[in-house]
Amino acid sequence: MTAPSVGAAPQRNTIRGSAAIVGAGRSAVGRVPGRTPLALAADAAKAALADAGIARGRIDGVLASVAFAAPFHRFSVAFSEYFGITPTFSNTLQVSGATAATMFNIAAAAVAGGLAENVLVLGADSLLSGLSPDLALRSMTESRDQQYEMPFGIPVANTFAMTAHRHMLEFGTTAEQLARVAVIHREHAMRTPGAQVTEPITVDDVLNSGWVTTPYHKLDCSLISDGAVAFVVSAADRVGEFRSKPVYILGAGECYTHEHIFLMPSLTTTGAVQSSAKAYAMAGCTPKDIDVAGVYDCFTGTVIMMLEDLGFCPKGEGGRFVDDRQITYGGSIPCNTHGGLLSYAHPGMPGSLLHFLEVVQQLRGQCGERQVAGAELGLVHSLGAGFATQATTILGTEATL
Amino acid sequence: MRRIDPREAHIKPLPTPDADSQAYWDALKEGRLLLQHCRACGHKQVYQQALCRQCGAEELVHEQASGRGTVHSFSVVHRAPGPAFKQDTPYAVLLVELEEGPRMISSLAGADPMSVDFGNPVELVCERLDDGTVLPRFRPARA
Repeated sequence: MTAPSVGAAPQRNTIRGSAAIVGAGRSAVGRVPGRTPLALAADAAKAALADAGIARGRIDGVLASVAFAAPFHRFSVAFSEYFGITPTFSNTLQVSGATAATMFNIAAAAVAGGLAENVLVLGADSLLSGLSPDLALRSMTESRDQQYEMPFGIPVANTFAMTAHRHMLEFGTTAEQLARVAVIHREHAMRTPGAQVTEPITVDDVLNSGWVTTPYHKLDCSLISDGAVAFVVSAADRVGEFRSKPVYILGAGECYTHEHIFLMPSLTTTGAVQSSAKAYAMAGCTPKDIDVAGVYDCFTGTVIMMLEDLGFCPKGEGGRFVDDRQITYGGSIPCNTHGGLLSYAHPGMPGSLLHFLEVVQQLRGQCGERQVAGAELGLVHSLGAGFATQATTILGTEATL
Repeated sequence: MRRIDPREAHIKPLPTPDADSQAYWDALKEGRLLLQHCRACGHKQVYQQALCRQCGAEELVHEQASGRGTVHSFSVVHRAPGPAFKQDTPYAVLLVELEEGPRMISSLAGADPMSVDFGNPVELVCERLDDGTVLPRFRPARA
């Protein structure tokens, strides 16, 4: 009898290629009066199930983000009751804006590990119609520290603004470069059916749109919207059971460097460096290999910092990279081709799921005049809470497996 | 998630001290800003907690900060984060780096908010609110 050799155990340290997105859909987004977060969630779930070509009874797992405009602590459970399903795997996740990518990472691990067969990944909210811009901003501010931050009237926007301000000081990033991010996102939204804002804007329009919190003007800030997005994630060896073209989850990474903005180790280099490095290593690719990206764009400066931290350009070069139009068609990494949170829609935690929807549709070749030619490998980076939460997911077509 | 009540949104959030932070908020009422100094490794922290964030030791002692620092970053708020702060705009939120090392969030008192800049020297000013709470705010340092 021979002793088992060291290292003979099956490799279980990666989920690369073991799960796929087999259905994707959304509700109406933008200003959607008369639909609660649960109703919007049901609209999106129906669209995702139709896209996958399966009945709701096939869903045995639900992962959801929380909704500010709904009173449920367990949104995934409340949704299941509302939608008439009885999942045997469910959780409601809350790491602010990063929740979107974490749901895919966890869904992939869940189907790879046998916790569920078909996981519905879901986000819904009604910030514009169910709340109001004022109440939505106050709700988000409640996520700051109750003792050490909130009493000073610190908007969530302010945490991002202070990092952008510091980036301008350290690297010479200009207000015009920030504005250019907004202009390119608007160009993208103008080509996307259903985008919330589609009027063309110029750099001067951004600079003259009035202060929100310095150095951010109104048009440096993302929208406030309603909407829901849903996906079906299933095991890669069962993709033949679904109607749609599968998009595989190839890499996943997360990083949480701090909770409080005053304990952020550096205001200009974030945990996206670590989360993306982990995702690239798992996927076996580098930033240069990525064809299309969804980069969290809650503010213009956020995009510039993430282009650097995700490795698309060197540290400090983000502003010039945007000036060179590297983030749109013909550039080195087309980003947020739907228009992003800045111009397509920002319904809160579902916002980054819209980046996933766009990248999935790009990898399926379904984007019509927005299509990035030959897109096979995509990246989505979600973040939140003043860069406290960071999550990266790398997606690819069958050819990238 | 708890849906925010519109009436509540008109009230400014006030700190509710807890077991970790009671001494910090009590000392502010006497005009003193307390830092936790770690006897094991020398680390200093503003954010009050039961163990040292650097080494994990629980041998933390309170020392009064000088109250002097510089502006590490800032953002002047023109669009308030909800109804409660609307009458205060514009105001400057500061990320102050204390001369002892730790950083903290505060806001500028006694000066034009648009005059603040990186590296500006600032000093502690204790602001007493109606309910007796004292907030640690900062004003331009006197020469």
